[in-house]
Formats: sequence, C-alpha cells, structure tokens
Amino acid sequence: MSNQESTQTVHETAETSERPESIQTPRAPAIEAHDLSVTYGSETALESVDIQIPDRQITAIIGPSGCGKSTFLRCINRMNDRIDAAAVSGALSFKGRNIYDEHVDPVALRRRIGMVFQHPNPFPKSIYDNVAYGLRIQGITSEIDARVKLALERAALYEEVSDSLEKSALDLSGGQQQRLCIARAIAVDPDVLLMDEPASALDPIATAKIEDLIAELSEEYTVVIVTHNMQQAARISDRTAVFLTGGELVEYDDTETIFENPEHDRVEDYITGKFG
Amino acid sequence: MAVDGDTDRTLSVDSRGRLWGLHATLFEAGLFGATLFGIVSLCILFGYIAFDAFQPLTASIRWYLLIAGTLILPTAAGTLYARRQPAVRAANAKAFGVVGGALVAALCTYIVVDALSPYDVALVLLFGGYLPAVFTLLVRRTNRTTQLGPTAILSVGGGLAIAHGGYDLLRPIVGTAAQWIAYFAIVTLPVAFGLWIVGRRRWTRQTARRAVLAVIVSVLLLVVLALGLGIDPSFWVVLLSVGAIPVAVVIGEIVVLDPAGRLGAAGPFVLIGCLSVFLAVERQLGLEGPDGYLTTTLLLESWHGLDASSAGVYPQIVGSIVIVGVMGVLAFPVGIGAALYLEEYAQRSGWRGRVATLLEVNISNLAGVPSVVYGLLGLALFRNALGFPTGIVLSAAGTLGLLILPIVVVSAQEALRSVPDSLREAAVGMGASRWQTLRTVVLPEALPGMLTGTILALARAIGETAPLVIIAVATTKYSPPDGILSSATVLPLQIFAARSNVDPAFRHGIVPAAAVVLLVLLLLMNTTAIVVRNRFDRRSQQ
Repeated sequence: MSNQESTQTVHETAETSERPESIQTPRAPAIEAHDLSVTYGSETALESVDIQIPDRQITAIIGPSGCGKSTFLRCINRMNDRIDAAAVSGALSFKGRNIYDEHVDPVALRRRIGMVFQHPNPFPKSIYDNVAYGLRIQGITSEIDARVKLALERAALYEEVSDSLEKSALDLSGGQQQRLCIARAIAVDPDVLLMDEPASALDPIATAKIEDLIAELSEEYTVVIVTHNMQQAARISDRTAVFLTGGELVEYDDTETIFENPEHDRVEDYITGKFG
Repeated sequence: MAVDGDTDRTLSVDSRGRLWGLHATLFEAGLFGATLFGIVSLCILFGYIAFDAFQPLTASIRWYLLIAGTLILPTAAGTLYARRQPAVRAANAKAFGVVGGALVAALCTYIVVDALSPYDVALVLLFGGYLPAVFTLLVRRTNRTTQLGPTAILSVGGGLAIAHGGYDLLRPIVGTAAQWIAYFAIVTLPVAFGLWIVGRRRWTRQTARRAVLAVIVSVLLLVVLALGLGIDPSFWVVLLSVGAIPVAVVIGEIVVLDPAGRLGAAGPFVLIGCLSVFLAVERQLGLEGPDGYLTTTLLLESWHGLDASSAGVYPQIVGSIVIVGVMGVLAFPVGIGAALYLEEYAQRSGWRGRVATLLEVNISNLAGVPSVVYGLLGLALFRNALGFPTGIVLSAAGTLGLLILPIVVVSAQEALRSVPDSLREAAVGMGASRWQTLRTVVLPEALPGMLTGTILALARAIGETAPLVIIAVATTKYSPPDGILSSATVLPLQIFAARSNVDPAFRHGIVPAAAVVLLVLLLLMNTTAIVVRNRFDRRSQQ
C-alpha cells in the first residue's frame, strides 16, 4: 500500500511495520502498573491495580459505569493531573520508566502517548490545521504537508477530505470528526494510543470504520481502548481487562479466554449480561 | 367574555379551562406590557431629547419632501429589494458595515492622532513598534533559536525607554518631517502590513505584495495631488489608508467572489450618491432644513460659554474618545489577565482554591460598587498617593478603568468558561503545555467574547460623570487634550455643566444636542461589540 511507502519516508520506525506477522510474538510490556490506586478526595476510583499492557497490541478495558476504566486510561498519560483532587499512589511505568516520577514531564509524556476521546473534539480550525496541530506545538516545521497527508491516509480519511483540507473541521460528520481526531493523534507518531470509548457517540457504520482503523493501527501502535461495548472488545482486542465496581481489576487475560472461559464468576456474569 | 354567560356550567371542565385560558392570556399580556414599558418610556425620552436637539418643526414641508424623495425612498426601495435575496442582503450588510466602520475608524484615528500630535505618535510608534520589530526579526534571522516573545517584549521596552529618554533630542528631528509623513508612518504602513498579512492568507503571496504596493503608491499619489492643489494631505492620507482601503478590499472581494450578491455591494455608494444629490438640490433650491442645535459647529468647534450658536463640543468628543481609549489599554490586559488566572490557572481545592474563590466573589461584588466610590478611590490613588496633576487624562482613564475592571474580568471569565473543556483536553492530550493550550485553543475561542465584554464595559464608562467630578476633572475645556498627561474633559461633564447655564438655549438646545452626540458614540461602541461577536462567531462555525 502507498501508506507504507510514505511511512518509510517520514518515520524511522517504518521498517517494523513491514512485518505485521511479528505482532504475535510476545514483547516487553509497554505499560506496566503495580499496586496503582487513585482516589478523588475520599472516593476510591482505582484500587491497587496490577497490569502489564503489551507493546503493539490492542488491549480493551471493559466494565460497568464508574468502575474506574476511564480513570485508569487517564492515568497513563497523566490527564488526571488536570483534576486537583485526584491522588495517585503506586507505580505506573511506560517503557520501564515510572511516569509519576517527579522528573517526568507530563507534557513530554503526552507527546508519546496520544489520546482519542469519547466525543469527537476537533479544534475549530481547518482540517489541515487540526492534523498539523501536534507537529506545530512540538516545533516541527519540516514536511508538515507530507506528515498531514500521511496521518489522514492512515486514519482512512484522506480520500474524503483531500479537496477540502482548508475547510473547518466542524463541517465534517461525527464519524469523520472522530477519524480526524485519530489522524491528529497519530500525526506526531506517538508510541501509544489511548482511546476512551471512541465509537460510543457514533452510528454503526462509522463505528465499523473506526474499528477497522484501530485494527490497522495496532500494527504500529500500542492501543488501549476503553469500551462499554463487549462485542466491540471481543471483535478488535488481543487482550481484555475487566474492571468491576470499586475500581478493582478483576481479570486480565487474552480476549478469547475472557469471553469464552473466564476465571471469575463475576466476570462471566458481567459478560453474559447478568449485571452491568 | 363568555365566562359570565355560562354560569350554569361553571363546574364543567370546559369553562374552568376557558377561565384558565383567560388567566394565561392576561398573564402573557402583563409580561408583554412590562417589556413594552421600558422600551416605550425610553423611546419617549429619546424622542424628547431628539426633538430639542434637531428642532424638526422649524424645517419646511418642501425640505421634508426633498429628503423623502432623494434619501428615504431610494433607501427603502433598495432595502426591500435586498431583503428578497439572501445573497444581496448579506453583501449589502457587509458593504454597509465596512463603509461605516472604516469611516468611523478613520475619523477616530485622525481626531485622536491630531489631538495628541502626529509627531509624538509617530515617535512612539517608531521606537515602540517598527524598530523593535525590525530588530527582533534581524535577531531571529541571525540566530534561529531566539525566543521571539521575550525578545520582542524587551526590544519594545528598550525602544520606548530610548524614545522617552531621548525625547528632547529626537522630537525636533522627527518634527522636521512634513506632517503627512508622520501620518503615513502612523496609518498607511500598519494598514499595508495588515493587508499583507490578510492577503497572504486569503490570496496568493504575489497578489498580497501587489496590493501592498498599490496601497503605498495610491497614498503617495494622493499626497502629490493634494500638495499640487495646495491642501494639507494629512487628513486625506488617513481617510484613504484607514477608510478607503479596507472598503476597496472588502467590496473588491464581494464583486469578484460573490456574483449573486454583487448588487448589494452598491448599497452604501447609492446612499452616498443620494446624499450628495440631496445636498446639491437643497442648496440649489435654497430649502431651509431644521434649525436645530446638532450642527457642524457643535461637532467641530470649541466650546463657547456665552453664545449657544457658536458653542461646540469637539474638545469634549476628543476627550471622551482619548479617555476611553486609554481606559481600554489599561483595563483590557489587567482584566483579561485576572480572568485567565481565575479560570485557567487557579486551583479549585485546598487553601489556594479558597483564596481563588474569595478573589472571585470579591471581584463580582466590586462590579456593583457605586461609581462615586470609585471616584473617591481614584482621588486617593492618583491625586493624593501618586501626586498626579488634577484632572488629567491618565487619572480619569485610570479611575474609570478601575470602575470597569470587575466588569471586564467577569465578562472575560464568562468567555473563557464558554470554551468547551473538551477542546482543552484535546490540546493537553496532544502534549500542549498550559501556555500552548491557552494560546492556540482557548484564547482564539474566547477572544471575541472578551472583546465584546470589554467594549460594552467601555461603553458604560463613556457616560460616567460622578467619579470624574470627584477627581476634579474640569467640566469645561476649550481645547482637546494633547497627551495622556494633559487635562481633558468629557461629554457628560460638559452636558452637566451646560445644564446650569443661564441661557436657555444651552439648557434646551446644546444639552440635548450633546446628549445625542454621546448616545451616538455609545451606539457606535455597542454596534462594534455586536459586529465583533457576530463576525468571529461566524468564522469559528465555518
């Protein structure tokens, strides 16, 4: 595909993407949590979570509302820092480095860990400026056109918008806006993509497109996706973590195992729809 | 109604329902009456003032027929035609907006610069604007790692310090140039630069360069023409640069890019044509217009305390504009800064959160403090503590600036709050620092709201009288202010003073006429606020 050719021109990591079969082999975890707890004032949002998220695979996080899945996701790129009341304890490491270390710059961290939110939130700027945003704030001035085009191509949006790059991003449909947000996140070539229910505000067709896209992206990125939709988790993810009420990680295993033969009865009850 | 006739069925659902219906109708009518009450009483008041100011009964019927035939009928016909076609209507509104706005901007610029002395303004602009800009760009070019922001701030500060320190030496040198050169530097160069910036984004680089060249050449041609005719070109340089060039750009864009609405762009020019026809016919037939007090004498002449027919409020108009301008320069950055801190930086929890809440509550309460009290504060601060001379522009602007500061802060907070948090999250999630998030996402979204709030606050302050009386601003002045340290007066104070003149022509003629001038200034500011808001709103929705 032309994607891959242009990938090579811009990205140093391009050669790894040429061998998608290598995904299946186990790798060192990209993200690792030990005894991670988060409290909002007196409320516990995450209770002593231990998890190892593998590199370049899709990890789905499922669980009922208020179980702490979004909190966990927002810990990974320290978006919880924006909430004054949130207190984090325990260790959470990205590529072996504790990200809550006082020497870690959250701004630099977020440049390596991109995020896509539940509701599409493009900036009220042109499509081009949206995708170029991350590059510009990092002071990258070279090959912006090529990088924008590449990101839009990888987000499967380029064909639809190639004639209207200068139009406002707000004129796009909801599904297109969400793909634009994905393009914006991958334009800076992060290591990890965090997705917080990225398809929950979209119709089924747009959702299917996003799911295909996520599957393709996992060839190059570590994807962590929070979802309410268990079929979605079963369809796209390699591994699944089930959080249940109280911010507790109850079970974490290969997606197949979780959906076909879960260890815990509570997880089976949740997956078969007895509660949640 | 039928309720009385249906007494035998009072208990049926029907009549009760009807009774409730009547009830609801009466309530709605009451609400409508309350709405009307304010509007109608204001209209009566304005009508009363306008009647005194214009004296419409003194004009002949033929004059009214002429004005109807040459002005009102063509305008009404044009409006009716434009209303039918949305494209024409939009182009029409845009054309009127740009013609009106550019004329007002040109007049205000000329009035203020003329009052402050063009050489002083040019000197400040040269050392505080052009030289620092050139310096910053040079530094940047030789060393790419230079931070633009701090360099620019430092060089502007340095330039202004040099201008201040070397004023006695530099001013005579600048003063040797012809006055139009100073105006050229003050208005034409910034307009050309702005055109270049806008043109580069909207058209091609080459077109933008040609447009800039066209602007400079046309202004120089005008200067040559005026010098040839023996007229001082200063005013015409300002009118062409600030007035005509934006009009030409906007009208040109409509004509080229919007064939459907093209006709609408002619609106303001048809009106100007009609006006000229009207004036020509009026003079030709010797028709008498109303013998009112709102004359060119009132607008352009200096005050005269004894003869109402030769009294003018030009110094007061200039004073009002200058004081409002300085007030805006003082209050806007402080107010926006406070709002940014409270909304974007202040913590929400812990003792620092409590301090922020305390500050916020206090600022909201300050918005309601009576203006007389602010006058006392201004007196204590500027006159007694800082030792400023009595009644100068700076202390008047400072006092009124403190008065509107809480309003600016609160409205800027509103504007910041209206920026959806999802946009901040998007920027932060992309790895933008706090400052980058502010600059690239939050400020562009909130700026129109901030500007609108500030302009409305300034519009409130333009009518303030009490605090200025307290800080002993002169009620009568015969010349406009010539700097921020010179004494000045404003329209409301002059109205206040003229109200106690023994000559009834002042009390019943000059006072309402000056009030109309004040109301027009106010209306212009409110219109600006609305235009700013609508224009930016449309842009962000595009």
